[in-house]
Amino acid sequence: MIDRLPSGNQRLDDILNGGLLKNAINLIVGVPGSGKTILSQQFAFHNATARQPALYLSTLSEPLDKILRFGETLKVFDHKAIQDGRVIYEDIGHVLGDNGLESILGAIEGYLKEVRPGIVVIDSFRAFAAVSHDTTEFRRFLYSLTRLLGASATTAIWNAPYTREQAMDAAEFAVADSILALDIKLVGARELRVMQVLKLRGSSYRSGEHAYRITDGGFDVFPRLADVQDRSIYKLSAKRSSTGIEALDKVLGEGGYWSGATTMVAGPSGIGKTLMGLHFLFRGAAIGEPGVVATFQENETQLTRVAKSFGWSFSNSGVHVLSRSVVDVYIDEWVYQLLDMIENTGARRIVIDSLPDVMVAAADPIRFREWMFSLTQRLARAGISMMMIVEVPELFQLRRISEQGLSHLADNVVLLQYVQEGPELARALTVLKTRAMHHHPVVHRYEITEKGFVLGDVLTLTR
Amino acid sequence: MSQQEDQAVYSIGAVARMLEIPTSTLRAWEERYSVITPIRSEGSQRLYSRAQVEQLRFIKSRLESGASAADAHRLLSQELSADRIPAAEVEPTGETKPLLLLAERDSYAAGLAEYFLRTEGYEVAIASDAQQARLHFEERSPDLVILDLLISGGAGFRLCAELAAKGTAQILAVSAIDSAAEAMRLGAAAFLRKPLEPLTLASTVRDLLGTSALARHDRPSKVPT
Repeated sequence: MIDRLPSGNQRLDDILNGGLLKNAINLIVGVPGSGKTILSQQFAFHNATARQPALYLSTLSEPLDKILRFGETLKVFDHKAIQDGRVIYEDIGHVLGDNGLESILGAIEGYLKEVRPGIVVIDSFRAFAAVSHDTTEFRRFLYSLTRLLGASATTAIWNAPYTREQAMDAAEFAVADSILALDIKLVGARELRVMQVLKLRGSSYRSGEHAYRITDGGFDVFPRLADVQDRSIYKLSAKRSSTGIEALDKVLGEGGYWSGATTMVAGPSGIGKTLMGLHFLFRGAAIGEPGVVATFQENETQLTRVAKSFGWSFSNSGVHVLSRSVVDVYIDEWVYQLLDMIENTGARRIVIDSLPDVMVAAADPIRFREWMFSLTQRLARAGISMMMIVEVPELFQLRRISEQGLSHLADNVVLLQYVQEGPELARALTVLKTRAMHHHPVVHRYEITEKGFVLGDVLTLTR
Repeated sequence: MSQQEDQAVYSIGAVARMLEIPTSTLRAWEERYSVITPIRSEGSQRLYSRAQVEQLRFIKSRLESGASAADAHRLLSQELSADRIPAAEVEPTGETKPLLLLAERDSYAAGLAEYFLRTEGYEVAIASDAQQARLHFEERSPDLVILDLLISGGAGFRLCAELAAKGTAQILAVSAIDSAAEAMRLGAAAFLRKPLEPLTLASTVRDLLGTSALARHDRPSKVPT
């Protein structure tokens, strides 16, 4: 495998299969403001050593002082690394301005000899194309520079403000060994930052678009949750996970859902879906199975009040809350928070409240389905039970559960709905599907009391 | 011998490593105090003389004794004015440096390696193809051959075996592809993967020639007269 230059961000390195290509030419393209300079500085500071310093060369597009002033606000910016010469900033804009491309080659060769850098960042590379008299001159320069850099033990990072489409046509595209494209997309009125690996010579990488954010900690990326189906055999649990509703456990037979199963609970507003999730989680916690309620519906304060009204408390209960507003959600950022919380708490039961919130945040139905498939597979293989809550618009006579055809991903489907009994509205529960279990798909009346769900007798529905 | 006439052989990087003073500090001292001013090569690289290295060693020792950089430089100026130049190794005239034959087809790679090796104190002869390398080898009897195995379309492999068999110089084989095992089989003493990292190249050459190689002043010339 070709040696790598890690970024210091594990998730970005996972996408790049270890990092940028070492002793190679790496091109970072993206519209202005997409974070090329920040990402380059992150690589520079993370890898610079006294033996192999990082050399940051600014050209004509941005004054060096400006790069430094804004760079200084980042946590990765290390003053000591500059003081002791591990990271060296130089402006070659004046060389370019005065003498053109030919002098740039000489200047860079001089730096390679004198500084002996392990990394050379050129920000921005597009300035070279801009000052070329014609395409031929630029291509000759590009060829010479590529040979010069190829002959030295240095990793080149070139920044260029190209869009993805422009990059494909640029001469740099052909000579670069790896290409990262940064982009800012508009989804409705929201801005979504995405990065994509366009090329990584001699290596595999995580394909597709990955959301990222720029924080004072630098470039933080959230690899697209899109696991290839793992066909290897894994051990299924022989245990049952109680639903937390005794009568429902009896309906399901043997004491609840299979451990590690995915259960979809669908129903209209106010029917008790969240409550059903809380039953599931607090029952698990009571028998030593920690849980996480990942909610977009209520904040922690609101959810605490709901739980309290049924005699539960989140404090030291083993039930943890991951609460997130639906505003500006990146589904992949959110799923890593969830997976981290699962790992940190040792959670065995998860409730997502609600799935349509994630669907909306995903924006793309195909993307949502692959995301959901990946998450359910990961949890199932880890033997973690998941309950997905889906709100449906119909109060009565539900015709379909979800528009995304997700019910096939669920091992169990429980439908909660209202039924009309004369002037009264009653609540009814139906277990529509249980994978690898026998059940009778009958409709049960239930009530919500101060003790929560109380399952009642079988209802006969009239059409 | 004046400072300017002094033979300049050390790069700023080499000086920084030898004295453990960051290159940025060396540049800053030069700019601020103008006492130790290395000459510049055509490519504008700083080239320090052996005497300047000793002067910097003097500065370093003063700093370690608690003096400020300004005071240390003032003191050095006084010593230089009084012709009490801090002890420097005098390079013997007619010194024969170890000769390295660099067989490298890529002119950029050859140029960089030559620069790094010269600033480490070696004499370097460059051959850009196998035939030229063979001729230089016969005519100049190098102490060490740095041989790109892929030179002249892969002729470097045969050349490696041929030169190693003569037993007069060690072969440091280099290649962009992993050919270590093959190089050793053909008689190379060491192998390095390209691109060559300057310090690794220098230390490998030093290891192969022995640390005393640079200090040998009495080596008889192998160049045929």
